[in-house]
Amino acid sequence: MASDKVSVLGHPTERPSWVPRARPVASTGVSAPLTPPGDHDDGEGRETNEEKAAAALHAAFSRLAPQGNDAWNFLAAFTHLGDRYGPYHPGTSGLSDLLGEPGPDRRTRRTRLARLRPRGDRPTADDARREMEEAMAQVVEAFRFLSARVGTLEQRLAHQDRPIDAVPWLVPAEELGPWAGPVAAHMVAMTPGGAVLHADCGEGLLLDTLAQGGVDALGVEPRGGVALRALERGCAVTICEALETLETLPSGTLGGVVLSGVVDRLALHELLPLLSQTRRALQSAAPIAVVATDPSGNGSDRGAAALELVAGRPLHVETWEILLDRAGFVDIAPLTRDGVDDGRFALSATTPS
Amino acid sequence: MHRGDAIGRHTLRLRNATRARGFESHIYVDVTEEETARETIPVLEYPASAQPGDVAVYQFATASYMAPWLAGRGETLVVNYHNITPPDLLAPWDNHLALGQLRAQADLRLLAPRTALAVSDSAYNEAHLIEAGFAATAVIPPSAALGHDVIAVGIDAQVPARETPRGARWLAVGRVAPNKALQDTIAALAVTRAHDDPEATLLVIGKPATALYDRALHRYVDELGLHGAVTFAGHASDAVVAAAYAQADVLVITSEHEGFCVPAVEAMSVGLPVVAFGQGALPEVLGDAGTFVTSKDPYALSNTIDALLADAPRRASVTQAGRHRLDSLDLASAAERFVALLVALVESGGRRR
Repeated sequence: MASDKVSVLGHPTERPSWVPRARPVASTGVSAPLTPPGDHDDGEGRETNEEKAAAALHAAFSRLAPQGNDAWNFLAAFTHLGDRYGPYHPGTSGLSDLLGEPGPDRRTRRTRLARLRPRGDRPTADDARREMEEAMAQVVEAFRFLSARVGTLEQRLAHQDRPIDAVPWLVPAEELGPWAGPVAAHMVAMTPGGAVLHADCGEGLLLDTLAQGGVDALGVEPRGGVALRALERGCAVTICEALETLETLPSGTLGGVVLSGVVDRLALHELLPLLSQTRRALQSAAPIAVVATDPSGNGSDRGAAALELVAGRPLHVETWEILLDRAGFVDIAPLTRDGVDDGRFALSATTPS
Repeated sequence: MHRGDAIGRHTLRLRNATRARGFESHIYVDVTEEETARETIPVLEYPASAQPGDVAVYQFATASYMAPWLAGRGETLVVNYHNITPPDLLAPWDNHLALGQLRAQADLRLLAPRTALAVSDSAYNEAHLIEAGFAATAVIPPSAALGHDVIAVGIDAQVPARETPRGARWLAVGRVAPNKALQDTIAALAVTRAHDDPEATLLVIGKPATALYDRALHRYVDELGLHGAVTFAGHASDAVVAAAYAQADVLVITSEHEGFCVPAVEAMSVGLPVVAFGQGALPEVLGDAGTFVTSKDPYALSNTIDALLADAPRRASVTQAGRHRLDSLDLASAAERFVALLVALVESGGRRR
């Protein structure tokens, strides 16, 4: 199991520490030392390509665990309250009324019958504590209802944005093909240093080309089966969506970013944060290249399900110029190549100096 | 009490075996389920019918008001322990479930001082009982292996249709819960399909324990390009499960934690080879009938499964070992042996010597 799956429960005799924590970081982060493609089993203990691929597969699932996201943190907070002040075991029970009291010390509490005994004129400290705990039990119930309402809202929004989960698998991975050479050459020439990230990297053609040019190359590919082929060849690939990886990177660390494939399938409201995070993660005067499908072309090779379920669609070059400009990139210009038109275009830009 | 799950079946057999010995025996429940309402009595009705010399056998599997209620009563108490999933394995997915397991651990310690005898289904589980403070323990395997029902029900039932009838047929049976670590089986399938058997499939039979984990598994399947290769059948009837065993080539178990694992026994009953992550009670239950991996490396698991399926003599050998293992478990007499323990306890005055 991934080492970032930290237990959030303390010793059973202690109060559990339902501590909200940040989301697990995606595997093969930029900070990890990069190695050139090829098998690395040189007998000196470095990870083999298979070991790296295995780690990437494990990490791809680990990031799907809700631990650390807002919903989990919310539930963790009131589960802690529930442990202290809530019913022993939520749900119908014939015995619950008989045993009576909420809270962990129910076994030592007096029954409801005993509590009806005549009190003195002044409330005791015990009475005050019990009133407070009953009030907290009500707070727990209020949180439960609130959680249900928020959950309903989230579900409705999710269905509007993304009718099904993990949409990339509906859209076949498209390799850069003839664009790999010109894009790699541009990145090698323009990068101020540091790693160059490519999303969606597919089977890693650009990563190989960048590595041949002496540039550290990182790939992001949400289709695990495709990523596996790149991983087993020694490419550094994270099985993830581009935005999820970019969000985990420290600011100003990347030496370049190439966006292809992902730019054709994200909805506009997803493209904007993608470009924003790209801008943030790039160093000053670092290049970005966008290789996108021309919507004026012969039409998409997407299947019917992808056409109907994938929110994003290819955008025109003029639209991309506007988006890059609004995201804060400068020196926006076409990136050209020789050869037959394959229905795609490319733009390059840089972050300001 | 659910008729369809192992503990429900076991409880019914135990009751019947007790009655067959001439004793009066009833099943009391805190929460009445419609499907078993005719077999059970609400526990609140017990005190009115309690007799001196009664022995209470508590089927312990989760947190329940039953534990503190029994702790406060005086009948001779036998705890039949079915394992508590460590809360650490559940917390990243469902805090509420994890809290329940934490409370179950506390219940176990609460009952230890006043329990005359604790019976577990494996030496692995027995160690938990000793750690929790139970002074008198015994090991008797559960009496609810499906194997016998397979023979009774027959194997010509329908199973969910698969799109690719060729290729190795992997099977996973059991609750779809985080501790079952089905993602590791899925990752290994991706490796097998990428390298050795592009048409291998996986059938997962079992009810989801938490929606978040179930959803993550479905998403993981999609992300690895295994849509169509992995079928989640959900909860299935005995006939469907029996047919699945008959049509599968291998049962794969990648659980992080197993207290016994009834599916492993079921697989041995029908001669199906088992490949498992060697942890918990699995080495004890399977013995030589199991083929074990010691890590969660998907390449290691894939290679182990592929090698086993390609080796007919080895498969025959483990099948034969499975039959011997079943003989030694002697499940057919498990219920009667349990009752014999109860009788001995009563005859010794309520305390096991």
